[in-house]
Amino acid sequence: MRRIREYLHRRLTRSRPAVPEAAADELRVAFKERYHHFKLLLSANKRALERMAAIEGALRGGEAFGMAFVRSTCTEVATAVWRMIQSMAVLAPGKYPELPTRFKAINAQIKAHLESSFRPLAEAALVVSLGTIDRNWRDQAGGKMAGLGEVHKKTGLTVPDGFVITTAAYSRFLNHSGLQDEINRLIQTADREDTAGLLELSARLQQAVLKAPVPRDIESAVALAWRTLESRHGTAMRIALRSSSLFEDDIASAFAGQFQTELNVSRDHLMDAYRTVVASKYSLHALTYRLNRGIRDEDLAVAVGAMVMVDAVAGGVAYTISPVAADDDRVHIDATWGLPKAIVDGTAAYDSFIVARAPQLHVADQAIGHKTSRLVCYLEEGVCRRDATGDQADLPCLSPDQVLEVARMALEIEAYYGCPQDIEWAIAADGKLNLLQSRPLPVPEGAGDATVTPDIPEGTEVLLEGGVTASPGAVGGTVYPAAKRADALRFPADAILVVRQAAPYWATLIGRAAGVVAEQGGVAGHLANVAREFGVPALFSCPDAMARLAAGDEVTLDADRRRVYAGRLPGLIAQRPPRKVNPLANSPVFKLLQALDRLIVPLHLLDPEASEFHPQNCRTLHDITRFLHEKSVQEMFSFGQAHHFPERSSKQLFYKVPMQWWVLNLDDGFVAEVDGKYVHLDNIASEPMIAFWSGFTAIPWAGPPAIDHRGLASVLFQSTANTALTVGRRSRYAEKNYFMISRHYCNLNSRLGYHFAMLEALVSDRTRENYVTFQFKGGAADIERRLKRVHFIGDLLETYAFRVTIQEDHLTARIANEDRGIMVERLKILGYLALHTRQIDMIMKNKARVEALRAKMRADIDGVLLNATQP
Amino acid sequence: MSEFTVLLVDDEEDFRRTLAKRLEKRNLQVLSAAGGEEAMALIRRSAVDVVALDVRMPGMDGIDVLRAIKAHDPLIEVVMLTGHASVEAAVEGMDFGAFDYLMKPVGIDELLYKLQDAYEARRIGLKRNSRGPTPSE
Repeated sequence: MRRIREYLHRRLTRSRPAVPEAAADELRVAFKERYHHFKLLLSANKRALERMAAIEGALRGGEAFGMAFVRSTCTEVATAVWRMIQSMAVLAPGKYPELPTRFKAINAQIKAHLESSFRPLAEAALVVSLGTIDRNWRDQAGGKMAGLGEVHKKTGLTVPDGFVITTAAYSRFLNHSGLQDEINRLIQTADREDTAGLLELSARLQQAVLKAPVPRDIESAVALAWRTLESRHGTAMRIALRSSSLFEDDIASAFAGQFQTELNVSRDHLMDAYRTVVASKYSLHALTYRLNRGIRDEDLAVAVGAMVMVDAVAGGVAYTISPVAADDDRVHIDATWGLPKAIVDGTAAYDSFIVARAPQLHVADQAIGHKTSRLVCYLEEGVCRRDATGDQADLPCLSPDQVLEVARMALEIEAYYGCPQDIEWAIAADGKLNLLQSRPLPVPEGAGDATVTPDIPEGTEVLLEGGVTASPGAVGGTVYPAAKRADALRFPADAILVVRQAAPYWATLIGRAAGVVAEQGGVAGHLANVAREFGVPALFSCPDAMARLAAGDEVTLDADRRRVYAGRLPGLIAQRPPRKVNPLANSPVFKLLQALDRLIVPLHLLDPEASEFHPQNCRTLHDITRFLHEKSVQEMFSFGQAHHFPERSSKQLFYKVPMQWWVLNLDDGFVAEVDGKYVHLDNIASEPMIAFWSGFTAIPWAGPPAIDHRGLASVLFQSTANTALTVGRRSRYAEKNYFMISRHYCNLNSRLGYHFAMLEALVSDRTRENYVTFQFKGGAADIERRLKRVHFIGDLLETYAFRVTIQEDHLTARIANEDRGIMVERLKILGYLALHTRQIDMIMKNKARVEALRAKMRADIDGVLLNATQP
Repeated sequence: MSEFTVLLVDDEEDFRRTLAKRLEKRNLQVLSAAGGEEAMALIRRSAVDVVALDVRMPGMDGIDVLRAIKAHDPLIEVVMLTGHASVEAAVEGMDFGAFDYLMKPVGIDELLYKLQDAYEARRIGLKRNSRGPTPSE
């Protein structure tokens, strides 16, 4: 220790001006602290830029994202920017008082957007009778129940008696004992990279809801409603519990039964069944659906409808028009023995009736299925599957009169609402037709003429033919048969899903599937609904599909003509492409992120030399980061230059001869402290600088004039500008070419006349923090040649995995998060290009020479440069 | 980066245990506490360099723990972790001297780097206070 101090003392006293040792110690600490804060600022800057890129990526499309992404990403950007502001306050105390003000102003807007979500009425009733509600009760009773109440009141159609546990009750339930908080935490902290992660999240969320206590006041309100209902229907009464949420019946996003429905529930299990229905908001299927459709969790308030159970003799679904074919306005009815749930679940055989409207209502067509089982109510509670007795399996489950009665009911509702409807109905033991639910039916788009002979090469093998079009369109893909639910976890994107039953749980995969083929199920099932909503072609009721389509087969699914062909048939697919749907666009989450993007991502502060480059003009968080990054580099530089402290003043680089490059050591950039004027190359410890330099010197420049040692700017750019003009306007920082370095960091900043080049690199074993940014602008040639050169360099850099953006003649190239070996190679390439792109603007108009040059450079880089050992 | 001592404060035992194991593998000394009071008792008893602190816990709130730590020793660096993204809480935490504010789930490397950077900040702080190099250098 004493020896070191004496050594330092000797060295310090030899330098001019002398710095007392105590003061030198203090300065060293001060430098270290500043460099530390500079590093923190750079790291926060990188984090902010990456999260901004994630926002842009999300808005460009591709992956679905939810509120957890929006909230965490915006919070991460804002946190990083605040971190930068704090670091800057250490580097330049009190110098930019406007920055926190600007930050807080922008942040207040971000917060306002994030918090503008739906809030149910807190003062509203917890339970209301179905008889009292109509469409004006939508906010409290949810879409489904408000719609039923409305139809019952206005048309007199039979709807089962019942009551609704309102959105206000839901809100009480979730805010009671911090359930909503816990749900938010689980969602944010989940690892949701894949389906397995989502599945685990879904299980944890449902558990949280299922074990949460229901507040006393809700329990007693429900008990009272039950007793009232019981007084009208007797003690043997059972009920069905169905979700009725806001959003649910919007035409843009038919939730289409992804919630659990609890059938034949007794008084004893009423509250458990309530929790089960609410918990199904977090079923895997519902979670993925909301994610894909950009629906915010907190916007989805769940009311639950309790209706007296109809022990159905027969039931099903009716569409007042064809859901898949344009210009087909006949009523489509799918029906089966027992409860209609089997139709919605797509798990059983069924009868299909088609009812034409003119000249008078008549059954135009029917297909009777082989219905081997039916779903019925147990005496006590719950439902079960019963085998068909006698010849029941092959008998139509509806008489012709009943078919017409169902059609009339559907059409009456259509007439009342003035748009096509999708209804669920049941015929009770007393023969009475009950309406269970009704929602608007999206009108299929008119496209593709199924009568035109498709362009199919001769000899193309037809693998499968028949079935029903569940969702229109033609598509090519690889077959992925899913025999059991666990197969969903490995479903590859853009494959064609082949399943036995068209069961609702497969809907989880619709967002990623190219098409769907099922052995069972029909157009009225939930899976078909979702497929149509997402524009994914689907063909159902194809017996043997699992046997005929083998895993890995390349096939073309033509759902319109109900065929599957071997191989991909581009001609056919082009003729009837699936309707392109970006289910997220215009969704609440998407619009919210767009609004937040405007406060965060656009960059207005472009030119650091312009007078507009000022904190007051920071309109977005990106502006603030840009400003802070620029100023922090300048602060680091000027602090080093302002202190007459030899250890930390800039040194001239000595490589064979003194070069016109200066080096400022920020921290540990030198192998040993440098006394005097020069620093020799072998005393440089900065890994990124060494890499750059080795690329710069690896291959001598061939063309005239021979390389001189006048510095990077004159090498990079042949300036015709009079550099003398710039003296005095700029600091010394701008006149010379400076490397600011530490062991893992290098900043090369060069401005001369109208030219500008910047290289910044952080390279260490912390792969996740590594980056290289290279920017340059300008040149002496005319704008056309200049642009051509910028694009030439941009193309080259892109082939080496840089992300390149070019605005006018300003090029930015960036690479990040690669390991140090790759980063070192990229720096060598930049060094090479710095030398060898000199003067190439002169040949940029000659195509042949440009190509020859490109080939030579690729050969240099791939051959000599990246195989060369360090100089 | 030399070894240093990290205190993990989080009411989720699973989270604490897994994290402790992974950080120990990377040669850190790891202490852990399930809540604020326990954390303060540990800090008074043993030498802690950096604290990784959950923002929301039952009992003593994360911000209160942060203030208590900073009142006890302003040079102990605190990295806040949260499952509830909130810019306000982040800014508040950092204004009370938190080193940084990370969103759960956090990558182990990301957290490790953050803890190392926080430790470096502490060393610089100690050096500044003693006005010279620490004996370890």
